[in-house]
Amino acid sequence: MEEKKDKTGLLREVLDGAAGLAGSYAATLTHLFRRPVTEQYPEYKRPMPARTRGRIILTRSPDGKERCVACYLCSGACPVNCISMQSEEGPDGRRRAAWFRINFARCIYCGLCEEACPTLALQLTPEFAFCKDAIEDFVYEKEDLLVDHGGKDPDYDFYAHAGVAAGRPKGEHIGEDEPVDVKSILP
Amino acid sequence: MPDLIIDGRPVRVPKGTPVIAAAESLGIVIPRFCWHPALGAAGACRMCAVMFLDGPVKGLEMSCMVPAADGMVVETFHPEAVTFRRRVVELLMANHPHDCPVCDEGGHCLLQDETISGGHALRRFPGRKRTYLDQDLGPFIQHEMNRCIHCYRCARFYQEYCGYLDFGPMQNANRVYFGRFASGPLESPFSGNLADICPTGTLTDKPGRYKSRRWDCQRAPSVCPHCSLGCATVALSRYREVVRVEARENPAVNGHFICDRGRYSFGYAASAERPRQARADGVPTSMSTALALAGTRLGGVVEAFGPEAVAVVGSARSSLETQTALTALARAGGWRGPAFFADRTEQQAVAAALAALAGGRARSLAEIGQADAVLCLGVSPLHDAPMLALSLRQAARAGAVVAVADPRPATLPLPFTHLPLAPDKLPGAAALLTGAEAADAAAIQRALPLSPELWPALERLAPAFAAAGNPVLVFAPALAAQAPADARFGLFPVLCGPNAAGAALVADADAPACDDLARAIEAGEVKGLVLAEADAAALSPRLAAALPGLETLVVLDHLPTPSFAAAKVFLPTQTLFESGGTLCNNEARLQYAAPVAPPGEPVSRDGRGGHPPRDYARKLPGTDPLPAAALCAVLALEMGLDMPALSFAAFTGVGPEDVAPEGTRATRLPAAPTAPAPPSAPPGQGLVVVRDDALFATDAYGRYAPLARAQAPAASVVRLHPDDAAGLGLADGEALTVTVGDRRIEATLAVSAAVARGAAVVPRLPGWAGLPAAIGPETLRRRQP
Amino acid sequence: MTDILCGILVMLARMAVVLAVVFGLAAYMILVERKLLGRFQVRYGPNRVGLFGLLQPIADGLKMLLKEDIVADGVDRRIFLIAPAIVAGAALFSFAVVPFGPTFAVFDRPIAQVIADTDVGLLVIFGLSSLAVYGVALGGWTSDNKYSLLGGIRGAAQMISYELALGLSLVPVAMMARSLNLTDIVSAQATLPFALSQPVAFAIFVVSALAETNRIPFDLPEAENELQAGFHTEYSGMRFALFFVGEYVNMILLGSVTAIFFLGGWNGPLLPPIVWFGLKVLAVPVFLIWTRASLPRLRYDQLMALGWKCLVPLGLANILVTGALLAAGR
Repeated sequence: MEEKKDKTGLLREVLDGAAGLAGSYAATLTHLFRRPVTEQYPEYKRPMPARTRGRIILTRSPDGKERCVACYLCSGACPVNCISMQSEEGPDGRRRAAWFRINFARCIYCGLCEEACPTLALQLTPEFAFCKDAIEDFVYEKEDLLVDHGGKDPDYDFYAHAGVAAGRPKGEHIGEDEPVDVKSILP
Repeated sequence: MPDLIIDGRPVRVPKGTPVIAAAESLGIVIPRFCWHPALGAAGACRMCAVMFLDGPVKGLEMSCMVPAADGMVVETFHPEAVTFRRRVVELLMANHPHDCPVCDEGGHCLLQDETISGGHALRRFPGRKRTYLDQDLGPFIQHEMNRCIHCYRCARFYQEYCGYLDFGPMQNANRVYFGRFASGPLESPFSGNLADICPTGTLTDKPGRYKSRRWDCQRAPSVCPHCSLGCATVALSRYREVVRVEARENPAVNGHFICDRGRYSFGYAASAERPRQARADGVPTSMSTALALAGTRLGGVVEAFGPEAVAVVGSARSSLETQTALTALARAGGWRGPAFFADRTEQQAVAAALAALAGGRARSLAEIGQADAVLCLGVSPLHDAPMLALSLRQAARAGAVVAVADPRPATLPLPFTHLPLAPDKLPGAAALLTGAEAADAAAIQRALPLSPELWPALERLAPAFAAAGNPVLVFAPALAAQAPADARFGLFPVLCGPNAAGAALVADADAPACDDLARAIEAGEVKGLVLAEADAAALSPRLAAALPGLETLVVLDHLPTPSFAAAKVFLPTQTLFESGGTLCNNEARLQYAAPVAPPGEPVSRDGRGGHPPRDYARKLPGTDPLPAAALCAVLALEMGLDMPALSFAAFTGVGPEDVAPEGTRATRLPAAPTAPAPPSAPPGQGLVVVRDDALFATDAYGRYAPLARAQAPAASVVRLHPDDAAGLGLADGEALTVTVGDRRIEATLAVSAAVARGAAVVPRLPGWAGLPAAIGPETLRRRQP
Repeated sequence: MTDILCGILVMLARMAVVLAVVFGLAAYMILVERKLLGRFQVRYGPNRVGLFGLLQPIADGLKMLLKEDIVADGVDRRIFLIAPAIVAGAALFSFAVVPFGPTFAVFDRPIAQVIADTDVGLLVIFGLSSLAVYGVALGGWTSDNKYSLLGGIRGAAQMISYELALGLSLVPVAMMARSLNLTDIVSAQATLPFALSQPVAFAIFVVSALAETNRIPFDLPEAENELQAGFHTEYSGMRFALFFVGEYVNMILLGSVTAIFFLGGWNGPLLPPIVWFGLKVLAVPVFLIWTRASLPRLRYDQLMALGWKCLVPLGLANILVTGALLAAGR
């Protein structure tokens, strides 16, 4: 390196430096005449993809019943413990949440609850901007979370697949045989 | 002692140990569904396949079916074995209903764990799923047959281990079904264990159905307070409420299982009727006010009448810590007591029973299962100590002779001989069977001249007991004097109350009993009484009757007993689930129950509008109760007493730091007191009153547990021998009116030859406590329509 | 008497006009800088307050006025309070000698478009700009904060070093104009601005001036990623605003000085002289902003090496060459 520092080297360094300076000035100058990429948020709301992770809802199955079976998987998966619930047996024999609470003030919208949800009941919506005057108002109860549609998967019905008798009798779920007759003597 | 190598690690195990257990002793848990340490191998699930590389067996074998042998080299993670187990899981899942989200087993499900660890995620089997219809198995077990993987654990436990036959396998091939012949409650008093041993969600806990996931529960090792055996349990609590109690393995006491009384009687802690607030003269008040008032009132009594005018009463259901604190409080104040027992005789009987255990003659529940002859003297195993019946069953399975000499009708799930004898005949019968030489027919006829129907059975039993190498006498404390001097006989007393042994150890030999205190109150010598976790009505009717004569009555308790209602000052205490505590069981084994949850009104009752309240900065409701021992200390402070720092080590020889997880036997047993005289025939004519426990709701805690109370029989039953019934002119099933003191109780009459002649068996309930020792036709009367 | 009165009136009017224009320009220079930087980075810059964000400077000023003036514990209070005023004051005072156009006549009375037309204007500017270093150094030293202290020391060293190069770059200008009076220097460029006849001096001047005003790439006294905010870390509210305004007044001063020394002042075809002057004055801050958008910050040793090893020898050589050429030309 040392022996290369001759006179031509110095000149080259000066020229290179000057070219570098000019290059950076040119780069910024061309950007000056570009169209800004900023989106003017309150006037223009970008259409969010359906899978954006925003406010959480509890959806219903195609027959209009609550999908949530209060299995505690979402609260188990939640890294900030913002979901709590109590399960119970509903009048139709289906397992459901007696109460279901999400503290959105604590929620980090990571979507792990949605991934954990086995019945596709809990879904994140693209609604990301919602404000409150008091932090307690961010605590949403079941009635605040329940919606009357199926969200992203309107056709799925957990109870059509799961072989429990709640809702429809044994043997009538998808892919099931007639119940075994335990007192039959036929082979 | 075979030596073998498992996963490169050498291990030596006792002969006959299956390879799966040998691996477990190294900490290597081989996946399994059907194998259970208490039930042994069935080879049904094919899940525990491992590769045997060298030794007497070679190739892929089930580790539960192969006993460990010398020279074996086993690899649990051999690729072939892993692939095999993965395929097995996939096959087991072929008919699974895929309903984990609504299954209560989810989170502690063996099938779920193995499916996930095996990497099986998508069902490849294109066929249709086999389905079953479910049955209603009663209040404790929920049936969901579609989830079954046919490991036979339930059937083996229910039929082989417990000896009940109403539940089991049916059908063949791909249609095997586990259930009852028809829907109906399970008959076994150990049915709750089915939920514990079922590796899937087929049989789950019905009272805990849809309550919580395992991972959300606070869990702590606990000790069952519903009889004197002290079985190890795990308490699960969530949202300030105990939601479930499960068996904890304690090889020295209960093995792997507990009875349904211990499992389902936990509701008293979160009961809506539980008093959680202090009261002064019946008016709810703050803890500090009530404590100050208690101090002032008791101080006033001491000032006016002297320290001897204050007495302390404890009970056999308090922990050793509470009993010790009561003693310290009484000593600090120079007060009378504490009294733990109804009368002096009972206290001496329990002390004598414990004294008899000295010299290594105590037997544990596990050791009873290994005995070759067991005589239950004055003990009805299934009701006085339910898990004793399970141990007797194990002994009987191994060929032991079991005899139950007891006036009450006995049912046991094992072959046994029942000797229905009135209490005063029991010592004679015991002498026949516990002698070193077999009693001959003449001796038997001489001893029991009025019971000829028992002679053949006794003639059969006597030589068996005489020949037994390891016999055990299970006895009630009143019969402590019958403990044979013959050192062959192991001794196993069955006491009344979870910490009756602790009370006997803590109580001074000359401490007053409840009856003594009642006499002192009637004489005007005692004016102030501290009742700590004791119900005067259940403990001593005479004391309960004397309570109005007191100037002040301070009650410390967590149960809504009649004494709570009578209290002038009431101070709420914490339950065993909240404060923890040490209990001393019938064989003088100290065991520590850890606290599982802080006290507080359960969240389920705290809600408004269907969900818990939303104000977060408030004091939690119902958190006033303090440990009774702490309340004693605060009370002493209020009264300016210098309460000595007393540890129960002073009474038991075992300090709190010495209590091992599986329990530690007390080293300081009472010096053999003069054993009370055995029961004698009551003076005059009449039937001896014998109190009988039911499986549910007759123990001190179970009476206040809603679930246990729901299982109790609707009507009280009085049982008589046919001869006695005929003598009274009463017939089976007749409606009776029983006069207890000045009250009348309605009951029905059951007549059975299994009841001893001359005995009237009545329920052990507080309402019946006032019956005299012997009753006649003036007490038992036909109900007038 | 009337002469004196008129003189005072005219003087006051001139001062008022200069102050208003300079402050207004400084305030909007901040907006221009933010808008321009935004566009250089393909975004909008402030556009929420008023039309195109035109009221942003007023909003900023109000905000600064309403903010709490925090004086940290352990600072030397008097010096702490004075330091920002020195920076802003020195920059403002310099405008006293800056001419904005040729002398014109009102009612036959010649009115110079300068507050004080002194014969040593160049030296006055130099002197005042040297004073500004006290604001930075004292503000940094008295804040009782290690970042501020380092920033203040850096500022002092940097401004003293580059003042030398700055002075050397202006010697040829004075030599060619044969005067230190700024109006004369402008007149000397009637035909050809010194920027073209003295390109080396111009280059040295521009670089040194950047360093004197602590602008990127020479903003080491307040280098955010090393020193938090350097010498003004502990300042808040209006006192921070004074530092800030001082920097932008300095930028305009630099524009004026550059226009006078190198760009031919108000000389230019077609347009009136004051417009030419204004355009030239504004061109310089725009160039500074462009530079800010384009160049990264120098390392401290690079800064010192550039000043002492490159600019000072180059400036000296330039003086020699200019002197030789002038002597040869005579």
